[in-house]
Amino acid sequence: MLTNSKSFRLGLATLTAAAAILAAMPGAMAASPRAEEGKMILVARQDPGTLDYTKSNLTALRLWIPANVVEPLVYFNQDGSVSPGVAESWTISDDRLTYTFVIREAKFSNGEPVTVEDVIYSLNTMKESPVSQNSSAYQAVSSIEKVDDRTVRITLSRPSQNFWRGMGSTAGLIQPEAAAGTIATNPIGTGPYKLVSYTSNSALEFTVNENYWGEAPAIKDVTVRIITDGTAGLNALEAGEVDTIPVITIDLWEQLMARGLDKSFTMVTYPQIGEPTYAVINQKLDPELRQALAMTLDRQAYNDAFGASWGAENTCTFALPNQPWYEPASAESCPYPYDIEKAMALVAEKGYASTPLEYASLSDVPDLSLPADIMVPTMQAAGFNMTRNAIDLARYSQLIFQGRPPQFDVTVMSGDADPAQWACSDESQASWSTYCSVDYTQALADADEALTDEEYLALMKQAADILRKDAVIVPIIAKKGVGLFEPDLKGFLEPRVAVAIEFAPLHW
Amino acid sequence: MPIYIARKLAFFILAVIAASIAIFLLIRGAGGNVAAVVLGKDATAEAINALAQQYGLDRPMVVQYFDWIGKLLQGDLGRSFRTNESVADLVVSRLSISIPLCVSGLVLGLLIAIPAGTYSALYSDRPLGALVALLSQVGIAVPVFWAGILLSLLFGVRLGWLPTGGWTNWDANFWGAVRSLVLPVISLGLILGASLTRYVRSAVLDVMNQDYVRTARATGMTQMQALLQVGLRNAALPIATVVGLQIAELIGGTVIIETVFSLPGLSRMILANVAAREVIVVQSTVMLIIIFVMLINLIVDLLYGVLDPRVRLAR
Repeated sequence: MLTNSKSFRLGLATLTAAAAILAAMPGAMAASPRAEEGKMILVARQDPGTLDYTKSNLTALRLWIPANVVEPLVYFNQDGSVSPGVAESWTISDDRLTYTFVIREAKFSNGEPVTVEDVIYSLNTMKESPVSQNSSAYQAVSSIEKVDDRTVRITLSRPSQNFWRGMGSTAGLIQPEAAAGTIATNPIGTGPYKLVSYTSNSALEFTVNENYWGEAPAIKDVTVRIITDGTAGLNALEAGEVDTIPVITIDLWEQLMARGLDKSFTMVTYPQIGEPTYAVINQKLDPELRQALAMTLDRQAYNDAFGASWGAENTCTFALPNQPWYEPASAESCPYPYDIEKAMALVAEKGYASTPLEYASLSDVPDLSLPADIMVPTMQAAGFNMTRNAIDLARYSQLIFQGRPPQFDVTVMSGDADPAQWACSDESQASWSTYCSVDYTQALADADEALTDEEYLALMKQAADILRKDAVIVPIIAKKGVGLFEPDLKGFLEPRVAVAIEFAPLHW
Repeated sequence: MPIYIARKLAFFILAVIAASIAIFLLIRGAGGNVAAVVLGKDATAEAINALAQQYGLDRPMVVQYFDWIGKLLQGDLGRSFRTNESVADLVVSRLSISIPLCVSGLVLGLLIAIPAGTYSALYSDRPLGALVALLSQVGIAVPVFWAGILLSLLFGVRLGWLPTGGWTNWDANFWGAVRSLVLPVISLGLILGASLTRYVRSAVLDVMNQDYVRTARATGMTQMQALLQVGLRNAALPIATVVGLQIAELIGGTVIIETVFSLPGLSRMILANVAAREVIVVQSTVMLIIIFVMLINLIVDLLYGVLDPRVRLAR
């Protein structure tokens, strides 16, 4: 559309003036018109594409369906207590090998009663799930059987912390077998809400589930509007068209502050939905080369640019602050702290400058493409022959997640703070990072079999120590989740089922 | 004439076949597959291969192509891998947004461009004529997303007159749907109007310098009378050509407007499905658009042949 630079400059000047005038005008914000109607509208930044949580691990899906529509057997609360979900009670044998769940006499949102057969079907589906976070909870499960019409017994071959925690996460979600065919567009469960409609790239509509076994939620109708453009999302919030953006990404921070939205709305930060951001250095590289690369990762610079405003902490531990084995960055917990001079000396001494290296950057996720702006120049300044390869998610999946061998040298990723994802006892089974350490895997297995929480914690710390010393998975910061809420919208609780934002506790 | 029509039809069929092969190869050439996108980064290669197999993506490319094209010829556009929704249903639901958006945007653009372009051509020596030309330059320089965001800020956020974005279904609330489209249509119309003004101005200036217009002026007609009575038809031809091209571009090319205003239109659907490597959805939808555009071109070509015998004789 640009015909020449003159017309572009003219347009730019006009628009700048218009933007300044608009910014100076008072907004139309008032109390939400939905408060009296018992409604609420939230904003999602990504479209899930599918709602089949048995096959997809996308955050865009896990934010809305678990806990609201489909419930797990139990809930793990923030204070460490466990609440009933689809199971109204449970017993665990002293040797922690037998779990017996008494299933609640309840109905699914489609009106059908919850049966033991549905529970067994759901658990077996998750056991076979292609999503590793779901299936990994069942590694120690040897049988899932019906005891009577209301009781299910699960027998383990060894004690497993992962199994028990999984029953309160997506691995423990219960669905009716008869409705499994429509799960991708209309998942059914026992949660306080039921899905009314899902229009991809537009909205998810929920309403209260009349068959819900618990107390009816205060807000009857919930809409999750999918607004992929960040500015459009903030516009909708400021105009009062939506009531909350519960998950804000770093690319919006500057604009959000400039518009004063942090003052006119309630800002909530919460670690549960946060993510560790970490560099992955291909394990095929020489260990000393990996260590030298790790020394170029300037956590503070990265945090200043992309995390500090969010209360993110520098860390060398693959965990979030709400996980008990978490440690902030310190001389003790960081074997390869940022030290550009030492990195330069190593590059010169070992001749690493002649080794061509590739930094793979995920171009369509701002949180993951922006770090390259800091990381790549620093690595180049240290003397590494580093080039940046910016690619979209599908290509990134092909080259890196599924690449055998993965085609990258360095990349930066953020995601679940699940240390089990790096477990690997057999190199042929190495996952996308290529990280495969027998010691690390054994430490995690030992932790999984721990009979007490204290023992579990000690073993997880041991595993975290092995991971950080290998300089393959190199944690950078622990980000917190940040949300903006209409000031009259109260009751937000930190997610209990993975990252799910629960609608039911929210009220006007 | 029959030979001319046969030639055109043969060209049409060959072009459609070539386009289908190009689309099929391009989406696959981008790398990645839908199974990997669905399963996420922690999925094992075995799980991805199993899901890809379930989707039929492990079959030889030739088999996949002929399977797709065979179904397409029978009117079956296929189904989404992820949701099992019919592509035909998806396209129809998205067209209920994209068609009103494109048509209204284009009409608004023409309503702006025809009087503005004509005025600035006829009165290019007057300050107002120069101002119109200047404004069209400014309009061309404005990125469409910026115009959209500014309009959204003014009418949505500051004044609260119209929704900043989002979509209300026609059957749920007709006027709600109309309100959802107002700002996107204005954004599109303003930008289109600015660029079309230039074409109209240029076309009008061109005909106004022709001998037959000068002759008309010599008979005592005013500039406007000369234009309306003898110049308009000739000026309309190049404008119609440009408008035709714009329609083709708009059908799948409003992705920025749809993103800024969170409209679930056809362009955004294609973009999202390219990112997810939903190959069948992308192939079938893009193929439909191509066939539509080619059909329009075919009809225009045939009409040229009917209207102007020199065209068909020259081929």
